[in-house]
Amino acid sequence: MSEAIVTVAGDAPVLPRSESVFRRLMRTPSAAIAVVVVLILVIMTFGAPLVSPYSPNVSDFDQLFAPPSWNHLFGTDELGRDLFTRLLYGGRTSLIVAVAATVIAMVVGVAWGFVAAFREGWVGELLMRIADMLMAVPVIFLGLVLVAAFGASLWSLIVILGLLFAPATARLARSTLLVELRSEYYVSAVSVGASGTRIVARELFPNALPVLIARASLILAEAIFVEASLSFVGLGIQPPDTSWGTLLQQGYSNLYRSYSYPLFPGFVILVAVLALNALGDNLQKVLDPSRS
Amino acid sequence: MSRYVAKRLVSSIALLFLSTIIIFLLMRVIPGDPTITKLGGSIKEVDEATLTQIRSDLGLDKSIPEQYVTWISGIVRGDFGNSYFSQFSVTTLIGQRVGATLLLALMAMIIGLAIAVPASVAGAIWPNRYLNAVLSAFAAIGIAIPTFVIGIALIITIGVELDVLPTQGYVSFQRDPLNSVKSTLLPAFTLGIGVAAVTMRILRASLVEIGSASFVRTARGKGLLRSQVVVRHELPNASIPAITQAGIIVAHLVGGAVIVEYVFARPGLGTLLVDSVFQRDYAVLQTLVLATAAAFIVTSLVVDVLLGFVDPRLRVEAVS
Amino acid sequence: MTETSTPSPTSTPAVGDVALDVRGLEIEIDVRRGDPLRPVRGISFSVRRGHRVGIVGESGSGKSLTALSLIRLLPARVRVAAGEVQLRGRELTTLSEREMASVRGGGLSLVYQDPMSSLNPLQTIGHQVVEAILTHERVGRREAHARAVELLRDVGIPQPERRADDYPHEFSGGMRQRVVIAMAICANPDVLIADEATTALDVTTQARIMDMLARIVEERRMGMILITHDLGLAAAFCDDIHVMYAGRFVESGSAQAVLGNPVHPYSAALLESICRLDTDPRSPIAAIAGQPPLLQALPSGCPFHPRCVRALDVCVTEEPPVVESMGQVFECHHPIGVDA
Repeated sequence: MSEAIVTVAGDAPVLPRSESVFRRLMRTPSAAIAVVVVLILVIMTFGAPLVSPYSPNVSDFDQLFAPPSWNHLFGTDELGRDLFTRLLYGGRTSLIVAVAATVIAMVVGVAWGFVAAFREGWVGELLMRIADMLMAVPVIFLGLVLVAAFGASLWSLIVILGLLFAPATARLARSTLLVELRSEYYVSAVSVGASGTRIVARELFPNALPVLIARASLILAEAIFVEASLSFVGLGIQPPDTSWGTLLQQGYSNLYRSYSYPLFPGFVILVAVLALNALGDNLQKVLDPSRS
Repeated sequence: MSRYVAKRLVSSIALLFLSTIIIFLLMRVIPGDPTITKLGGSIKEVDEATLTQIRSDLGLDKSIPEQYVTWISGIVRGDFGNSYFSQFSVTTLIGQRVGATLLLALMAMIIGLAIAVPASVAGAIWPNRYLNAVLSAFAAIGIAIPTFVIGIALIITIGVELDVLPTQGYVSFQRDPLNSVKSTLLPAFTLGIGVAAVTMRILRASLVEIGSASFVRTARGKGLLRSQVVVRHELPNASIPAITQAGIIVAHLVGGAVIVEYVFARPGLGTLLVDSVFQRDYAVLQTLVLATAAAFIVTSLVVDVLLGFVDPRLRVEAVS
Repeated sequence: MTETSTPSPTSTPAVGDVALDVRGLEIEIDVRRGDPLRPVRGISFSVRRGHRVGIVGESGSGKSLTALSLIRLLPARVRVAAGEVQLRGRELTTLSEREMASVRGGGLSLVYQDPMSSLNPLQTIGHQVVEAILTHERVGRREAHARAVELLRDVGIPQPERRADDYPHEFSGGMRQRVVIAMAICANPDVLIADEATTALDVTTQARIMDMLARIVEERRMGMILITHDLGLAAAFCDDIHVMYAGRFVESGSAQAVLGNPVHPYSAALLESICRLDTDPRSPIAAIAGQPPLLQALPSGCPFHPRCVRALDVCVTEEPPVVESMGQVFECHHPIGVDA
């Protein structure tokens, strides 16, 4: 039966093959740099033990607030701990939280959007109205309110962040799906009698995937930013866990003793956010040139 | 025109009303008993009588609709209840802090527009590739850069090293306008960069679209210079789509204000929000959420009225 | 202003003086890859005061670009590659942008189609006409407003004092076009260019506006260039006609000559395809077979040969020579009236 779909719908749009997308992406200098930066971040944070000889929690009381040097690339903190190392290990938390939140946002958002696309009546409209209302609220504000409601543990934070970005993903998923639903090959496939779920799984979803992946990169960037903001005001990751946001907070409280202490976490967050944003923007352009 | 305004006013009030219901219900859905929160989390040392007393103080022994009515009637009178933690009423708390936030928002808007509008206009007058690439990059970076990074960088450079402007606290405007503005300058600039970036992106896009309109060619055909055409004809038309997106800018302001107030230790509504989240002070939280919803609704109303002034086509439709 | 392009009352040039002289105009479009496209490949014509010239061609013939190039409002990537454009002896192609701005509206004016969006929707039409006036003359606002009202009356807007305070969306298409014309003539340009100015309007309005234009051009002794795809319209309105195809004038001559005695097969075919009142309704419309050529793939030799019923072998290989005969100029190997 699946063969029948393919032969009847001979015009099924070809999914851009992954190598050609990647190659096209790497041609733009900003995209190439972004990819490299992201890779470096991931490798260094998860390979922290290999990168840094220090342990993140060991204090060296001779070296409080030391400025950056060859021994301590980013200097030390108020307890003499190496800041660079702490940023590496803290980065793991930040990245894991952001990735997990993005996954949740994608799953919830896509389900939400797909349901809204298929049920085009008042159900679909209502779902989208709710999404619009949620999207109008500033993310940090909504995040704080949700933290007030559900507390700020690692898991609640991941869920909260995921839910914050779900509405926008839902919107995207729905509009992408609607485009697919109107396309010739879907209509002809349906007329042959193919079942809805099969079509969704085999044809529509793979076609919607690239756009969603591009958006995932942007969500990742924002998730890192929001987690950092929440942790910065003390309502995100809680001690003893560290993240880039908590390190920023600690640096901020010690601003007058050491400039590098807040600047380096800020710099790392900045780089991560910019790189992921650039990556997401470029992916969007590569996958859908009409939208650049 | 006044009919148009009246219609929008009525729907805004209705929307506001609707939001109070939604907010009220949401707040009741939150897990956790506010009584316990008020007591600081442990009920072991407290006896039943005190609990009941507190419950009735907070009005929690009544049914939900009754609680809602109590709340709403209080609001209409300007009484938002009492903070769970401090001895002040919510109204007092907010009243103490609203000035700082409003001044910050106002100055940030002014700074943001003062940067964004000339930059966008310049980009439209001189379609030079390099200029526009720089402007686009600025807008993109300005949007992506986290507010706390800008804030901290400014504190370090201008505040501490150069020691030109104060980096924290707030002087009341009524008492000392000059110092008030001075103490708000750095935070407003921090927030203003984000506002500028968002506005630039919107305005530049709409200027590009307007640039290909027929009346632009007519204006140039009359003998007007490029700069005159952009300023007199393109900009007013391009502001219309930009104004309709004012909600995005306000959202950016609200979100950014929280962080900026925190970084610059300003006693404003943003820091109040953070504090009340820490303390699980639901009375304050509820009111702040309502205030934010009201701010958005008012913004939407102002936008529509403004559009009615700027675009004569809307007025005709509204009247007919 | 060093050179005036607006005539002063004491030295009004006489009807018949050459107002605009175009020689060898060539326009190029810059494409990213490959050679530039050439939508206009060398045209020459002149316009005298009080004289009406028509440029007739299908869409894609390059006529609109010609109009834009005269006032130098070509879009990005499109530029004048060669040729001279002289307005009362003053070369326009080398002027600075500032100087050219004062020529626009003051020496040369362009009115084009799409009246629906040719006016700024946010300003009253009175304001826009006043702006046009103030751009070229130093007068007070009140004086300018009074002139604007008179101008609106002149172009046929009823109750101009009241309507000057109205917005564009309160006017019909025909009325808007009249406003545009008012703006175009307010500084008494030497030449008015109308590029498909009435195409978007219904036939009755079209006729009325053409009448108004004829009167205005006569009264103010302006030269006029009418650019249209409608050969019938051009024949009725213009003194001279240039038929344009693939970027060149394939035939030029007086309106009577081109209408009564077309020499180039394309002109003849255009005439055939016009439906007249006395055309037999049952006979098929004699449309010209084929499509106008793509700029990227101009046919060799004479660009019209793929669609020409009189094509000879030489038409495919060689570009036709420019021939001048009895007041008509044409480019054809096998003109009508000559049997090779």
